[in-house]
Amino acid sequence: MAACVGTLALGALLLFAFMILVDPYDSGKFGLLGIDGVDDRNTHTAVASLARDASFDSAIIGNSTALMLDPVDLSRATGLRFVQLAVTGASPPEEFAVLDFFLRHHPRVRALVVVTDPSWCAHDSAAPWGAFPYWLYGKSSLIYAARLFSWPALEHAFQRLSIGLGLRKRMDPTGTFKDIWPPGEFHEINKPKDPAPAATTAGRDIFPELTLLDEVIKKLPADIAVVLTVPPTLYPMIPQPGTVAGAESEACNAALRQIVAGRPHSNFIDYRIDNAMTRDRANFVDFIHYRPSLAARMAEGIAASIALGNAAKIDF
Amino acid sequence: MLFNDYPFLLVFLPAAILVYRLVDPYPQLRILALVLLSFAFYAYGNPPFILLLLFSILINWLAALAYARTKMAAIITAAIVADLAVLAIFKYSNFLAYNLGLALGRSLPQFDIVLPLGISFFTFHHIMYLVDLRRGKAPLYPLPRYALYISFFPQAIAGPLVRWSEVMEQFGRKVYSPGWQREFYVGLAFIATGLFEKIFLGDRLARIIDPIYAQAAAGPVTNGDAWQALSFSFQILYDFAGYSDIAIGLGLLFGITLPFNFNAPFRSTDIQEFWQRWHITLMTFLREYLFFPLVNKRMVPRRWLPVQYFGALLFTMALCGLWHGASWTFVLWGTLHGIALVICSLWRRYCPRLPSLLGWALTVVLALLTGVIFRAGTLDAAFNIFQGLAVPPNLEQWRHLWPLAVIPLMAFLLPASQDVIALLMRRPRPWLAALIGFGLLAILVSLGEGDVSGFAYFKF
Repeated sequence: MAACVGTLALGALLLFAFMILVDPYDSGKFGLLGIDGVDDRNTHTAVASLARDASFDSAIIGNSTALMLDPVDLSRATGLRFVQLAVTGASPPEEFAVLDFFLRHHPRVRALVVVTDPSWCAHDSAAPWGAFPYWLYGKSSLIYAARLFSWPALEHAFQRLSIGLGLRKRMDPTGTFKDIWPPGEFHEINKPKDPAPAATTAGRDIFPELTLLDEVIKKLPADIAVVLTVPPTLYPMIPQPGTVAGAESEACNAALRQIVAGRPHSNFIDYRIDNAMTRDRANFVDFIHYRPSLAARMAEGIAASIALGNAAKIDF
Repeated sequence: MLFNDYPFLLVFLPAAILVYRLVDPYPQLRILALVLLSFAFYAYGNPPFILLLLFSILINWLAALAYARTKMAAIITAAIVADLAVLAIFKYSNFLAYNLGLALGRSLPQFDIVLPLGISFFTFHHIMYLVDLRRGKAPLYPLPRYALYISFFPQAIAGPLVRWSEVMEQFGRKVYSPGWQREFYVGLAFIATGLFEKIFLGDRLARIIDPIYAQAAAGPVTNGDAWQALSFSFQILYDFAGYSDIAIGLGLLFGITLPFNFNAPFRSTDIQEFWQRWHITLMTFLREYLFFPLVNKRMVPRRWLPVQYFGALLFTMALCGLWHGASWTFVLWGTLHGIALVICSLWRRYCPRLPSLLGWALTVVLALLTGVIFRAGTLDAAFNIFQGLAVPPNLEQWRHLWPLAVIPLMAFLLPASQDVIALLMRRPRPWLAALIGFGLLAILVSLGEGDVSGFAYFKF
């Protein structure tokens, strides 16, 4: 029995020590080997490493509808150092977790771009959509340590070890995912998940997630530029003025605009509009995911807003 | 609390072992400690139902006490009727209301009832003891020992169903006497085997077939996937055999030898043998406390005795089905197995013996096809699966579905887990002990993802 229990205990101890040494997700909570970065295609876990990188002072927050915004382009246009922190499939509470993690690791933040897709406009607090690793982005090292005892963590640990040994390259530290949607045809999938309309007209102005966002942004130093932007969708999926959906969209946009009103170098930009670009299917992968051609135009507007605030001319 | 989750494996179990180690030198504390640990185990997750368990233990023990003093058989009858009534209220109220509504031509309200964990099992434990008490076979036991018989945490939720005579005298024995390490080691081997069966075999199959049954519940399965759904019988085998092995292993850690529940059922060459190897403790209970009393009671003239015998067999198997769940699909499943047992009996009496391989094939086919009815939930869903078998299996996918080939082969070829463990542990092998330790570590790492699924028999 001693061999059985001994193997179990010693194995567990060695495994745990290995995890503590390597810090499989590069969370900054552990890691004594000084390995930089991760090689992880899963944004749910990869973003932690990017978000604590001291090379950056500005961040893009959002879900897959923010993924095409190129942090390198934005850095070049603004003179700031942007990192892409979009998490695919993330809901607002999950994006808050990433934002909080970024802010905790950067005492001097210069700019934030928050891509607010329709999920931010829900009139009820958002329920979690999936198994987001809050344990990775939380403050507790103990909770994080408890989750390191798993096969995925072990796989990540070996990936990190390979990076440390020079056998593997770390992923782009800016978080750029240029190859995620290769060029090709438009796919008739992913219609925007516009939230259910408010039950009453009075309830139309209540947006719990935006209230939280407002509180977070109000606490930030005034010199941090904040750009809130609604991502474009293919034209038929745009709420039409004069309809309930149109009124809902206008109410949400007004609330978003209010959050950054009066804040220097900050702006709200609604890219979910009807124009030649949003009518062209070549600019989209599907109904909600735009291609780099649109992202580049969006980046110009965002950069202009960081420079000039709401006086910026948005050419879209 | 699940046996395959961290709260149990990393907190409760080590704490329970430590507590028992501390009280082991004090005979008067051993049973009390195990009772309190069992109550804590049961209360975790659904505290209100601990009151039901406590009340149930107290009422039945008081009934036993009253019977021992008065010898009034009506007391035992009343207690058993009360036990079955409580089980019926929790498990069958909505089923009765639904069918009564159908009979009356109007829908009756459904009740919002949560099934207390283990109620089927502790009800049967009460019945076994009370019936034997009335038969004069069982003595009266002190309340703590009786409470432990009903609530002993390794088997309280889903068995194995244990006759009082198998465990009562084991309770409270000294565990940490010379040689305890060997029993402990065998216990760990059973736990490791059970977790392996559950996580790497049962759950693996469940991940493949659950979406197919969900599809069948919504409509026809026309893409050839229905063939995969046949493997449900292997999934529930490894789910429940895994649970049973963990329970047996846990029992050994506390000095209690629990009975085996499975004996490689898919190696059976006829359906009678299958039921002697599948959920052995339930079948023992049904045979001893339902089937034999029904068969031995003089109800019909002598020449009709075979009819009474086969009628009792069908009734027992139909009730076995109904015990698994309040649904006509379970009753149909049990009845089909009852019919198969009747045919098997008649065949043995009047027909030539079948070649073993043919008998084995017929038994497997019956188990797999009736397993679909058991799992489908509704007759429509089961029909959708059977209809889907008309479409040839989609062989392009099969390289991703290797568990559907490997796991059934294990069920067909390997001996029962207890035989494998006995064979491997015939003499001390340090490398094997280290391998089991490593296996337990791999299992704990697998559980680290937090994607833990419950045991199928917790629902029954």
